[in-house]
Amino acid sequence: MPRNPVKDQVAIVGVGSTGFSRQGASRSRDALVAQACIDAVRDAGVGKQEIDGVCGGLPRASTVVSMLGLPEVTHYVNHPPPFGFTIVDAMNAIHAGSADVVLAYHAMYRSPFVSRSAASDPLRRHLGWAGEPIGRPWRTDPEQLEGSPGYAAWASRYLHEYGVRREQLGYVAVNNRTNAADNPLAAMRDPLTMEDYLGARMVRDPLCMLDMDVPVDGADAFVLTTAERARDLTDHPVLIHAATTGTTAKNDEDQISGLGHHGQQVVAKELRAKSDIWVPDVDVYFPYDGFSFITLSWIENVGWCGEGEGGAFVESHWEKEANRIMIDGRVPVNPHGGSLSEGATQGSGHIREAVVQLRGDAGDRQVAGARSALLTLGGFFFNAQGLVLRQG
Amino acid sequence: MHPLSDAELVDRLPDILINHDNKAFYRGWLERRLLLNRCLQCDTWHHPPKPVCPECWSDAVVPTPVCGEGTVHLLIRLRQGPPADGVDYSTPHPVATVELAEQEGLRYTSTVIGDGAADVAIGDSVRLTWIERNGAPYPVFERSGASSASER
Ligand SMILES: [Zn+2]
Repeated sequence: MPRNPVKDQVAIVGVGSTGFSRQGASRSRDALVAQACIDAVRDAGVGKQEIDGVCGGLPRASTVVSMLGLPEVTHYVNHPPPFGFTIVDAMNAIHAGSADVVLAYHAMYRSPFVSRSAASDPLRRHLGWAGEPIGRPWRTDPEQLEGSPGYAAWASRYLHEYGVRREQLGYVAVNNRTNAADNPLAAMRDPLTMEDYLGARMVRDPLCMLDMDVPVDGADAFVLTTAERARDLTDHPVLIHAATTGTTAKNDEDQISGLGHHGQQVVAKELRAKSDIWVPDVDVYFPYDGFSFITLSWIENVGWCGEGEGGAFVESHWEKEANRIMIDGRVPVNPHGGSLSEGATQGSGHIREAVVQLRGDAGDRQVAGARSALLTLGGFFFNAQGLVLRQG
Repeated sequence: MHPLSDAELVDRLPDILINHDNKAFYRGWLERRLLLNRCLQCDTWHHPPKPVCPECWSDAVVPTPVCGEGTVHLLIRLRQGPPADGVDYSTPHPVATVELAEQEGLRYTSTVIGDGAADVAIGDSVRLTWIERNGAPYPVFERSGASSASER
């Protein structure tokens, strides 16, 4: 049995978000981070001198410390995406005593290569992914699977092995867009039909434009502290009940053993063993959706259905009038619209929405009586991670 | 023929990020040989090139030619992508991950050219061949067996 001494010991007590946009290009990445962080700290009701931990992706944690004038910080660490790495580190740091109040942030910033409006900003000309300067342009042959193409490649295998139809991937895209309509932070809120999905431009066949998350500008931020401190700060703390990350020895994109053995299975097994709450008892589910097909694979791997049955599962749990997935007539999937429609947040949006739902602050899209949330973030190779959050 | 020095290798493939772990692999390209790492200690193959054998941690990993026979395991048809010498995305451009005959799960990813490339499918038999890209050899696959028709 995996140990889980941190169970329910760390709480998320503040959230902030700029919201996400595909338009406009006049703000810096760091301005977005500053806004989200300040909102999260005010939401938590802590003073800036109390923040002694800072974790995130980019910019560097030390840059955030100086930008926000945090007087003394004892834990400041940067992580690659997805954002679960940052939350797990913040949780461990607090439980171990490296810091008591951690500010965790995540920014997305379009490179000029993915967006016309970003390309119109001359100050981005030399920036690449997530606002980092690009180095020497090394040759990239189209026949490599590093990064995103790895998912299109394994999607081909998934459709081949299990006879899943593209329409079944389409349910994921339509679900997320329907949900984003109720989320004012989301970048893509116009309704989407199955006809739109099936008619969308193919990019990396078998995946089309609408199978891939949408590049955005924006930032999310979180304040975490001990469960004990959280009780002084709020009547609605959200506790981290279980958390893990997972990968396997064969994690180069084209070398993983197969659809049945990669990071997702490691995460599902470990998280399930650590958690008292699991499928089908969770109230809201957040499977990652950087690519539509990752969502179906997560649904299978956490046990909502068997291997290869994810497509049939979303089809049979489709709520026709509402135009969305509702598992067992009760559990919504990515009620904020996910990376496909809220914006490509590498999981920070999923975590923020889970917190907002568990606090009962989700307004029009509030999941009635939501007390627990299952989040399975990231993909297959070196980026799978999972969280169970619950009301404190 | 004297072996190509590291400096000469970098000059021949100036836009590829070459390091001490993958330089033998790219030297192989210039000789039109696909060299994948094989462990002298435990006989296990791996790719991409790593400095030690991931199975037994021996550093006796030797770039070794593969026979070039394999089966399409993953397949993308790219409708867009980075500009590349001789690549036409309008066709579209197939990208196949090929499971090589040497070992289960040992795969190499490239494109498929020649007869039947446009309708190549997962499960098809292919064999290694070479094209020129950016003035240097580049390993690709072409369809081989007649078994492909029955697979579909
Ligand atoms: Zn070995």
